[in-house]
Amino acid sequence: MRANNLQILFSILSFLIPFFLFGQSDRDGSRRVTSTYYISNTTVIPYPGELLTGQNLLFSDGVIKALGKNIAIPAEAREIKGDSLFVYAGFIDMANKTGMEEPPIPEKPEDFDPSQPLPEIAGIHPHFSALDHYQENNPHDKEWRKLGFTIAQKLPKGKGMLPGKSALVLYGHESRNNTLSENQSLYFKFSTAGGVYPNTDLGVMAKWRDLMENSRLYDKHGEMYDVRSSLRRRENNPVLEALIPVFKKEMPLLIESSDELDIRRALKMQEENNFDLVITGINEGASLLPLLKEKKAGVVLTLHLPEDKFSDPPEGDKGPHFNHRLERVKTAYQESLALAGEFEKAAVPFGFTSKHLPRADFFKNIRLMVANGLTEQGALAALTVHPAEILGISDIAGTISEGKMANLVLMSDTLFSEKARVMMVVADGFVFDFSEKPEKVKEEEVVWEYEAETQGGKSKGKWTLTRKDKKWTGTVSYDDPQGEGVKTSSIENAVVTEKSLAFSFTVQVGTDSLQVSVSGEVTGKEFSGTMKITDYGNYPVRAKKLEKPEQ
Amino acid sequence: MQKKTYLSCIGIFWILLAGRAQQHSRADLLIKNAKVLTITNGLLENTDVLVRDGIIRQIGSDINVPGQVPTIDASGKYLMPGIIDAHSHLALEVINESSSPITAEVRMRDVVDPFDVGIYRALAGGTTVSHAMHGSANAIGGQNVTLKHRYGTRDPENLVMKDAPRTIKFALGENPTRVHGRGKNLQPRSRMGVEAVIRNGFEEALQYKKAWEEWHESEENKEKLMVPPVYNSRLETLVDILEGEIIIHCHSYRADEIYMLIQVCREYGIDKIVFSHVNEGFKVAPELAKYTMGASVFADWWAYKFEVYYSTAYNAAILTKNGVITSINSDSAELIRHLYHEAAKTQRYGELTDEEALALITINPARQLGIDHLVGSIEVGKQADLVLFDGHPLSIYAVPQMTWIDGVKYFDRENDAADQRLKVNAEESLEPIYLHTEHHNCMRDVDFYFTGFGRNLFQHSH
Repeated sequence: MRANNLQILFSILSFLIPFFLFGQSDRDGSRRVTSTYYISNTTVIPYPGELLTGQNLLFSDGVIKALGKNIAIPAEAREIKGDSLFVYAGFIDMANKTGMEEPPIPEKPEDFDPSQPLPEIAGIHPHFSALDHYQENNPHDKEWRKLGFTIAQKLPKGKGMLPGKSALVLYGHESRNNTLSENQSLYFKFSTAGGVYPNTDLGVMAKWRDLMENSRLYDKHGEMYDVRSSLRRRENNPVLEALIPVFKKEMPLLIESSDELDIRRALKMQEENNFDLVITGINEGASLLPLLKEKKAGVVLTLHLPEDKFSDPPEGDKGPHFNHRLERVKTAYQESLALAGEFEKAAVPFGFTSKHLPRADFFKNIRLMVANGLTEQGALAALTVHPAEILGISDIAGTISEGKMANLVLMSDTLFSEKARVMMVVADGFVFDFSEKPEKVKEEEVVWEYEAETQGGKSKGKWTLTRKDKKWTGTVSYDDPQGEGVKTSSIENAVVTEKSLAFSFTVQVGTDSLQVSVSGEVTGKEFSGTMKITDYGNYPVRAKKLEKPEQ
Repeated sequence: MQKKTYLSCIGIFWILLAGRAQQHSRADLLIKNAKVLTITNGLLENTDVLVRDGIIRQIGSDINVPGQVPTIDASGKYLMPGIIDAHSHLALEVINESSSPITAEVRMRDVVDPFDVGIYRALAGGTTVSHAMHGSANAIGGQNVTLKHRYGTRDPENLVMKDAPRTIKFALGENPTRVHGRGKNLQPRSRMGVEAVIRNGFEEALQYKKAWEEWHESEENKEKLMVPPVYNSRLETLVDILEGEIIIHCHSYRADEIYMLIQVCREYGIDKIVFSHVNEGFKVAPELAKYTMGASVFADWWAYKFEVYYSTAYNAAILTKNGVITSINSDSAELIRHLYHEAAKTQRYGELTDEEALALITINPARQLGIDHLVGSIEVGKQADLVLFDGHPLSIYAVPQMTWIDGVKYFDRENDAADQRLKVNAEESLEPIYLHTEHHNCMRDVDFYFTGFGRNLFQHSH
């Protein structure tokens, strides 16, 4: 009887967490009663370097209507109390790939000749559009929006040198179409699909030169055919067609760089073929500043910084060579932190890209840059006005002024101070309210997905732990041992630390009650320990912390 | 505290050196009382060499110049022209674009890596010029670039010897047949296939040239209006070879394939060709002398694969005695540090004179690279690429003391700091060191294909 109970007890089930945790705030902006809002008596930073206090900011239908101390407030406008808030223009992310999917690529044929692959197989598909492979309502973009990003340049994915055209999207409301522009720039990178021509940077550079030249000839052929139809017709070539706007300077080429030699290659490409150039992913190259300035290249620095591995060197005297190397690597680290400041000093305007950046590092890294030479105005400019200029959307974004899109970040303090928190984000005029401290929710509610090995086989379920006033409570889920469906028990005696987790619960099987206690170690998102069932024995149990319990 | 000061001094020194290298790539210099190995005019005892703006202006005794010219007392020391390596893969980010049997369009100039500390090591061995070549995976590889070892610059273009003519890599034998034939089941699978690939390339180039000529004619004649042909930089480059604008440097071992390419070149009217490695060159020495710009060989390196067994350390001497322009190359970031040892081996194997032996690493490689009017000997009017040895460079005891390029000192044994890196990774205090490193660089970047090749070879089901 008891063994049977166990078998049932540890069978698999899943469990859903209550969805709406906060009745008051409108965190997904889905229930608004008006599209007209005003932020009252607030502090506004309309553009970097300017700070206005006691302001009222009115926006309606996604457009900023008025800003000032005494502005007319229409009756339908809903008030957002702004007296403790600092209002900044919404951030703009460049060269971002969240929510992008790899486009489907044709299969290699049987008798495939890797020296002459189809362009798509070689990673050459500049005619692809980022929007065709963009998951509009992906959870990542929403997380970035929580940090203040309201507009992003989305890059197409692809393994080769020309993945396609980038798009500009709003991180606006899910119910709307949030495309700002579809063919924003052409994306180029120094990488290859592998195993076919071109296979290295050598081939990439050569292939690019041929493509540019042939795109010109293709265009010329078209012009000639338009005038004289007795000529050989021009076969449609989407790859060459897609490159025409680049050499005509109607669309910039966005080149991804991974080091300063890539930056030099990008500048060389521009010199050879004279196009509008934006270089993204810049992580080094202070010595290139005069050149970047002279060439008027658009510049996008990475927000991703190297790991600080050597601030606390190992103990003991390691000798002069070791110490010398340590000094150099520390200098190199400092140079990475100081790079943005160097660019600012050289008056080379730049934007930022969040590519490769863990979200948790966003404010931390900006503060590191600010602590190492970048001014706060410079940092704000790199998130707002400069990317707007580089993307050619200064008329609608980048600053807070009448007529611009209502993209705003409402902070609890000045932007880069340690205690500053994003209270609300306005994107496309929709208000996303995070003032209920959603950040803390993560700490307060933890969901683990467990799997235990018992005689009865594998059993799975969830532990949901909630902290209220420093006390942890919660539930354990498992299959009803006496039938179908989900049963839960309350968690008791929970002890939660950073590195350990222990609790107990009771399972009712008919008239019997089983006492179960769980304890073990926590390493990051992994739990490993034992589950003790009184009178039965100990069983290994593993669990994984779920990423986003509140979703 | 003291340590810190010491360290920051080194830092400042390097910044200064780097700055100087970038901004003043040509300088003045006076070397006094050296034993000057001119290469083209014998040994001059107690001789002064005056350099102005990077060019050798005067060679003689008791040269005195007014004003501040950096002066070196070279009493008892040997001054020779900077050593030139006609076959190297130093300072390159990529070596092989092995995805096609012909890749004439790719340019090594696109992937020059100024941060390669090997450049400094080469300078410490007196080597001032290297021929940075594409690898040997393809029958016709990429366009090479001749580098001057101006270490300290962050700009790859500062390393490029801009007055050197264009050169291109060809490769015969096992490497291209292995990569393309057996690895990918493409032509060439055999030595015959290599010849066919090269001939087809040249034939296509001729058709390409004709197509463009016809189109240019039609542009002038409105009646004959045509649409433009497709641009192809691969064929464009082959046309340039056929028109004598590019020197071929061909990786080769066996006499039969060397002779084959001599015949093909003669047929297409190409006379600018140098053979590299050429282990069986001694068998076709008269032909090499008559029809080519020479042979660039190893002193005594062979048997690393089947086609390289029939070899001799007398190769360089036999070729020299037969009138072939002969050089000794490194093909290795290690050998490039002591090419003067390699040259000296020809005195043990072949009894070459000092002048003949030193020519193998100076004026002869300069001729093969088409830069002998600029470098390769100590003559008035030439670029001041110089190296000062404490003894005769063909002596095993001699050690290079200073190395100059265009009159600028890039190596000085007196100021030889242990850490010569120009760029440091912020996340690694020690770069990973691999116990197995590939000395022979010709086949780098072709791993991918070998994976496929290995599968085909070892997992046959019948």
